[in-house]
Amino acid sequence: MDGGMSYQRFPKVKIREMKDDMVKFELRETDASVANALRRVMIAEVPTVAIDLVEIEVNSSVLNDEFIAHRLGLIPLTSDRAMSMRFSRDCDACDGDGQCEFCSVEFHLRAKCLTDQTLDVTSKDLYSSDHTVVPVEFSDPNDPGEQRGIIIVKLRRGQELRLRAIARKGIGKDHAKWSPAATVTFMYEPTIRINEDLMETLSLEEKRTWIESSPTKVFDIDPVTQQVVVVEPEAYTYDDEVIKKADAMGKSGLVEIEAKEDSFIFTVESTGAIKASQLVLNAIEILKQKLDAVRLSDDTVEADDQFGELGAHLRGG
Amino acid sequence: MAEVCFQYDDGPVIRERFNFGQFPIMLKSKYCHLRGADPQKLVSCREEPSEMGGYFILNGLERVVRLLILPKRNYPMSMVRNSFSDRREGYTDKAVVIRCERKNQSSVSVKLYYLRNGSARLGFWIQGREYLLPVGVVLKALVDTTDHEIYVSLTCCYSERDEMEKGAVGTQLMGERAKIILDEVRDLSLFTRLQCLEHIGEHFQPVMEGLETKSYSDVADSVLEDYIFVHLDNNYDKFNLLIFMLQKLFSLIDQTSVPDNSDSLQNQEVLLPGHLITIYLKEKLEDWLRKAKKSLQDEINKKSNINNKGSNNKNKSFDFCSLADVKKILDKNPVKQISSSVENLLKTGRLITQTGLDLQQRAGFTVQAERLNFLRFISHFRAVHRGASFAGLRTTTVRKLLPESWGFLCPVHTPDGEPCGLLNHMTSNCRITSFFDSQGNIRDFKKIRKTILSVLIAVGMTPSLPNLVQAGPPEVLSVLLDGRVVGSLPSSMVEKVVGHLRRLKVSANAMIANDLEVGYVPLSLGGAYPGLYLFTSPARFVRPVRNISIPSEESQNIELIGPFEQVFMEIRCPDGGDGGRRNAFPATHEEIHPTGMLSVVANLTPWSDHNQSPRNMYQCQMAKQTMAFSSQAINFRADQKLYHLQTPQSPIVRTSSYTKYGIDEYPSGTNAIVAVLAYTGYDMEDAMILNKSSVERGMCRGQIYQTETIDLTEQSSRSDHSQKIFRRSNVNKSMHSTIDSDGLPYVGQTIQQNQPYYCTYDEVTSTTRPYNRKGSEPVVVDYVALDGKNKEHPRKANIRFRHPRNPVIGDKFSSRHGQKGVCSQLWPDIDMPFSGVTGMRPDLIINPHAFPSRMTIAMLLESVAAKGGSLHGYFVDATPFTIPVKKDNADSKPKTSSLEETDGKTESKPNSLVEELGEMLKERGFNYHGVEVLYSGVYGTELTCEIFIGPVYYQRLRHMVSDKYQVRSTGTIDQVTRQPIKGRKRGGGIRFGEMERDSMLAHGAAYLLHDRLHTCSDYHIADVCTLCGSILATTSIQQQKQIQKPKKFGGLPPARPPKKVICHACQSSKGMETVAMPYVFRYLAAELAAMNIKMTLQLSNAAGA
Repeated sequence: MDGGMSYQRFPKVKIREMKDDMVKFELRETDASVANALRRVMIAEVPTVAIDLVEIEVNSSVLNDEFIAHRLGLIPLTSDRAMSMRFSRDCDACDGDGQCEFCSVEFHLRAKCLTDQTLDVTSKDLYSSDHTVVPVEFSDPNDPGEQRGIIIVKLRRGQELRLRAIARKGIGKDHAKWSPAATVTFMYEPTIRINEDLMETLSLEEKRTWIESSPTKVFDIDPVTQQVVVVEPEAYTYDDEVIKKADAMGKSGLVEIEAKEDSFIFTVESTGAIKASQLVLNAIEILKQKLDAVRLSDDTVEADDQFGELGAHLRGG
Repeated sequence: MAEVCFQYDDGPVIRERFNFGQFPIMLKSKYCHLRGADPQKLVSCREEPSEMGGYFILNGLERVVRLLILPKRNYPMSMVRNSFSDRREGYTDKAVVIRCERKNQSSVSVKLYYLRNGSARLGFWIQGREYLLPVGVVLKALVDTTDHEIYVSLTCCYSERDEMEKGAVGTQLMGERAKIILDEVRDLSLFTRLQCLEHIGEHFQPVMEGLETKSYSDVADSVLEDYIFVHLDNNYDKFNLLIFMLQKLFSLIDQTSVPDNSDSLQNQEVLLPGHLITIYLKEKLEDWLRKAKKSLQDEINKKSNINNKGSNNKNKSFDFCSLADVKKILDKNPVKQISSSVENLLKTGRLITQTGLDLQQRAGFTVQAERLNFLRFISHFRAVHRGASFAGLRTTTVRKLLPESWGFLCPVHTPDGEPCGLLNHMTSNCRITSFFDSQGNIRDFKKIRKTILSVLIAVGMTPSLPNLVQAGPPEVLSVLLDGRVVGSLPSSMVEKVVGHLRRLKVSANAMIANDLEVGYVPLSLGGAYPGLYLFTSPARFVRPVRNISIPSEESQNIELIGPFEQVFMEIRCPDGGDGGRRNAFPATHEEIHPTGMLSVVANLTPWSDHNQSPRNMYQCQMAKQTMAFSSQAINFRADQKLYHLQTPQSPIVRTSSYTKYGIDEYPSGTNAIVAVLAYTGYDMEDAMILNKSSVERGMCRGQIYQTETIDLTEQSSRSDHSQKIFRRSNVNKSMHSTIDSDGLPYVGQTIQQNQPYYCTYDEVTSTTRPYNRKGSEPVVVDYVALDGKNKEHPRKANIRFRHPRNPVIGDKFSSRHGQKGVCSQLWPDIDMPFSGVTGMRPDLIINPHAFPSRMTIAMLLESVAAKGGSLHGYFVDATPFTIPVKKDNADSKPKTSSLEETDGKTESKPNSLVEELGEMLKERGFNYHGVEVLYSGVYGTELTCEIFIGPVYYQRLRHMVSDKYQVRSTGTIDQVTRQPIKGRKRGGGIRFGEMERDSMLAHGAAYLLHDRLHTCSDYHIADVCTLCGSILATTSIQQQKQIQKPKKFGGLPPARPPKKVICHACQSSKGMETVAMPYVFRYLAAELAAMNIKMTLQLSNAAGA
């Protein structure tokens, strides 16, 4: 079995760019199903911690209780610990009431406006019982020094908000608030081949209009040779604009663009709950766990029939 | 709160004050304490900062008086109606009708019928009956005149020279008709004015109340004064007007002029709330006076009776001369009734009146101003109804959109269906004239008329009053000012005079009211009856246009025009075209902007000029049923039901009206990223797929605020005389979780179905009783407010609940282009298609089939524009008709290459809107056409097509499944028929009706049918006596309880002893059979038996069952 045809491949990852909240990497030698599985897991199945239960003691603000609870839920909390935490529904230490350290974190918020100025209640006013799980800090890109919180509600004089909130572990599948990914996307890497002979038949002006037909800057003219060169193939959005333009100019086949079936360029943006790089790693980990769950253990014989060839294939590795 | 000063005449005038009660006050009116309040004060009064007033609050409901269309006042209208000829023998279907309005806004219609013999009859209504007078009698009775004078006056508009000339209205038949009219009077042997008056007086004395003792001529005088041409107070004016009307009538007969269209806005005005209340109040006061007089009279009669008999009675004390006694009698008449009847009018919209007040309808004068959203609210104030009497008409003529209404009524904003075309809305810059001028001062109409008159005489009008005889068209034109023939102008001069008047109208020194209507009906060949009709009256429609015949250096050239004059004016619309007038009729006026023809709501549709017109109509309706940010003072309101959108947004693509009307104060939707593609088929047939994750992040979330008022005083008065207060039971602690110690729910508490939420204590029986929450969904207590003066034991409470209404499958959404859809799936982010470049997932997927047949191009434009706008970071202006206007102003830029459109968008003209929008996208590296390459969220593969995607402003409509779903398996049944009950509230089912039965039969699904109609309905096993065939005479006989045998273990339970059934009629249990049948069958048998009809059943086994 090992010697014969095998679907097994060894995908390669090459990281291009890595920031706290953004990662860009290439994934090669695999197919769309794997790439998409990775994307889906990153969005929907990597666990984070988010506020799930709110007990409101006093709320005299203009927003109603559900609204505030909903807003609290959407505040990203630092969830580096989330992978090792338990879901409170299968936490043995507690009765699933979300009070224990393995599955939940308690928050308190007390705010009252005493001045005539409007008081902004922000995520910074949330006090956590666990220093590892706190609201994500955001800073103004123009003024990185100052930390801004996420505004929860604004209070005028005399209004008060007092509440207790419990954050729990969860995944994006259950509710979007647990999704650690702001955006995960991938695109196929394009290969662009310019038909140089045909290109030479164009005048400089024609070349320029042809280049401009693409909304993104994929091609440019070499200032020295005045040839059309591909400057950034990945800027190409598969919009076929240049091909249509070439056809309209009567120069079909001026350029050939193909998508490489087995290499993907991923862009991952995190909400800040976990680092983008960690998000990718966690996603791979979860994907592996999921595959493990599918891979059948030897003692489930009857499942063999159920899964048929797939089961055999999985067991064989 | 109006205390009416009452004048009581007895020698010297004694003024007595009677309190006629209190009056509802219109919000922000003179007596309202919110009058002139600035937004800050309004907020501190817990009102809307942009409160506009104009409505009444009665029983906590906001009620608006509906604007109603009425025939134009003081304008003689020629009409052709079949009903006229049915009036009496000899009548034709032609008449001239005038609705005359007194100074106090009450009106009397007068009709001048044409008779087949060439004469005419004047008809008017007194107390619900029409009286007809020969016109000659009226003419003679009005003025001391001779037959010759009348003859000359009538025939002056005819001269042989002018016949067949343009504008001639008279024919030679006029003379003969005049003769007939005069002959008629002579036949009645009435020759002098006095004779005519006495003739009239004799006939009308019985119907004229209070004049029984007066002489005939006095009666006739008051008939003429109170019922004929009541807008005029001079008999000479009345005479002249009658002559004018006769001429118009004869011209209608001779077909030298056409009848006026009573359905066209040209001949219409509007009933204002103030006027309605005024005339209603006037009638009620008159009623009261009449009653007071009657009771006084009764009292006097009684006294005289007593005196005659000579017996003593306590009534003797009454003395007519003593004021106190009279007052006592008057007080017997309930004075407060007057205010309460006005209040009732506003509360119910129903008039209770004998005379009818010259109005066509008795009900529907007020409506509730629903605050579903701001647009719906504001539309109530802009709506103009044609009148309830037209709603029942089979013909559609009244509903038609006529060109006369251009600029005054919005062609787009009318509902479809039953009230289509009857309920119109005023355009955004249409106004109604009133008693107040633009500065808010009360107008002096007498003075205004006087100045106009002096201006007219100054420019060469021959006044009509000194001499009665004048020539007629085409030589001279009559000038009518508010229904009074004031004189005549030579037709050559009229145009100049009109121009002069218009110039005076707009001039700053305000010699003439700026809303004077100069209705110049020019001479024509068989067109409308010519003349110069001037109107200064209130309740007319007016709208501003630019007068371009006035040199532009005079900055004021905005003129207010009315629908009557508009028809005969040349108004250019700045849309590039000339409206077909070419050079023959140079435009004298110009529209300010083409959007002026649309209503406020219709103005909010972006690029509505790119949409198929019915779509704009649908949008106008749907905008009014959108769940939006309905009120900023929501915390202080106790509306019965209030829809509220949690996180609304301001649209990226907006028309200039959004800023103009401050719509951003009350936003009504969300800028959703909309992808147009057929994805899995769940978006078929106007269904749409929502992104579940977007919803979880708060898109289109909302709630319903519902207030329940609990009035214990009402409850206790209705039943027994128990004293109830709110109190919780201290014994039963089970409900302490939901009810606070004061017997009312905790604020913020969630209440499930059938949980108690308030509790009362009966002081008489000293019992507490909890009340359970009805309804199927959990609600949150938002607010509890106590009402009433009794602070110790409040007996009235308002409890406001909050129903969460987050989007679910089955909820209705719509864009601003009449594209509505129902959510069919809520899909998580990961299953939605995504863009490879940006990673964007759509919030909403709609099907491409929504576009080809509906042609809502503006929606595509909106998508592209909003995408460009959000990429560039600005709002995009989408005011309709701006492109042609712009092009008109600065004649087009150099042409750029035109590109082929692939997406079925508008053909790309050079410098077109699409091109502009496309460039915006291209600048930011997006596709020119607004399409993007998307990848399947499920497979990760590229979708075969490029997908049109972009932000579109979506509204959430108030129709939600949670309020509508109806399910039932088993449940309550009807007591009589034992069938399932109906009604969603009561947990009933949906009727499986006759047509459903038909379809089941057609499918041959007999067993299913049997299941639905019998087994799941009123299945019943009846005992039938085969001997007599009765099902009613059978009774089961309870057998004596048999001694229970000791239970056998392991064996079957003892079989139930067979029921012993016996037939009463046959006295035997022989031939008893059990038959399954619907229970109603048994009921039918019982009902028939009650009618002495016996129903027998014949059972057989022949069917082999």
